[in-house]
Amino acid sequence: MCDWCEKYGDGYERWYFNPANYARRLYKIRKEEAEALGAEANPQAAGGMSVVGRDFLEARERGDMAEVERVKQQIESAMWLTHCGQVITLEEALKIVDIMYPISLITCTCRRSMEGLPDEENFTCMGMGAGMYKWERWPDTYRGGVHFLTPDEAKEVLAKLNKRGLVHSIYTFGTPYLAGLCNCDYPDCAAIRTVIDLGIKILWKGHYVAKIDPELCNGCASCVHRCQFRALSFVPSRNKAYIDQFQCFGCGLCATECDQEAITLVERASLPALANVW
Amino acid sequence: MLPTITVNDEKCKEPISCRKCLLICPTHVLGLGTDVGPQKFREIDPSHFIVRAVRFDKCSGCMDCVKVCPQNAIQLSFSGGDAR
Ligand code: SF4
Ligand code: SF4
Ligand code: SF4
Ligand code: SF4
Ligand code: SF4
Repeated sequence: MCDWCEKYGDGYERWYFNPANYARRLYKIRKEEAEALGAEANPQAAGGMSVVGRDFLEARERGDMAEVERVKQQIESAMWLTHCGQVITLEEALKIVDIMYPISLITCTCRRSMEGLPDEENFTCMGMGAGMYKWERWPDTYRGGVHFLTPDEAKEVLAKLNKRGLVHSIYTFGTPYLAGLCNCDYPDCAAIRTVIDLGIKILWKGHYVAKIDPELCNGCASCVHRCQFRALSFVPSRNKAYIDQFQCFGCGLCATECDQEAITLVERASLPALANVW
Repeated sequence: MLPTITVNDEKCKEPISCRKCLLICPTHVLGLGTDVGPQKFREIDPSHFIVRAVRFDKCSGCMDCVKVCPQNAIQLSFSGGDAR
């Protein structure tokens, strides 16, 4: 079982199907340090949503693995308490839309930061729950405004974003409160690139692992561009797609593109060697 | 090898409307930040946005960002100096 389900699942099949994880206080008294944070330039705002500094990259470069490991653990333990995510499938995202309220479409801070995308082209991020009602407090986080959606509208948007090839994932804002339903791609999503390039697990793999049926795969290769996690490639000598299941994040984007139904999603828990690979 | 990448904020006035360097970089090394951090109850003025290198580890040294910048604001070198 994934740590999150174990800690916050409360009997539900997944922690993100537990409605309690979407409920939060609208306002709370903040700790002094946290309050002070807003005042000065912070490294995240001043550098493309980066969760690591240059020192980490330098330590990596000179092969100082002890330092790399130390910083990695420091970042992970801080992020797991405050802001971390897990990949989910489109079906799971659609189900979430039915158990929580309100849901809204907002601009994506990662792509604003890495592409400078104008607001009108940047409505790919979804915010959920009580926090949405206080968007005025942090206007820059919600640059471009907040569009509240009905559950049906939200489902339509999710299906469109999936078609475009964006990965769905769910994010905490003060774990375990879930407030972000993100739709992301490599490398401009800070979470995806941090886990893929740097191995810092601020985005957890999902509960599924994709598997190709070699009998059904006709070698059309139309799934290959869908993977944002470097798990999917193509083997010309066999004329089949190939999935590295140890690298697969279980997003299901490849499966939704395969019209031969050659790709299925298997429960991670059913595979002994992968059950704890998050 | 990691490059030294500096951006002169005096020359790069409104990166959010220019963003030429962000879009030309083949490996998405550069990103936007702000020099004020998150602000309560007010939107950050575009003049507070700044360009900074984020993914130093992905910079090939192609110099496309340096060449594309209309303001000559980016300096990039692999020797620690300000060579251009
Ligand atoms: S996590 Fe994804 S959707 Fe959310 S802000 Fe980052 S790239 Fe955008
Ligand atoms: S889309 Fe389906 S049939 Fe085509 S290569 Fe991928 S798995 Fe095979
Ligand atoms: S192989 Fe398929 S399910 Fe796995 S991460 Fe890639 S696109 Fe997602
Ligand atoms: S030199 Fe090339 S790779 Fe490096 S930041 Fe500039 S455009 Fe990107
Ligand atoms: S190209 Fe030059 S002026 Fe334009 S955003 Fe980049 S650094 Fe600023």
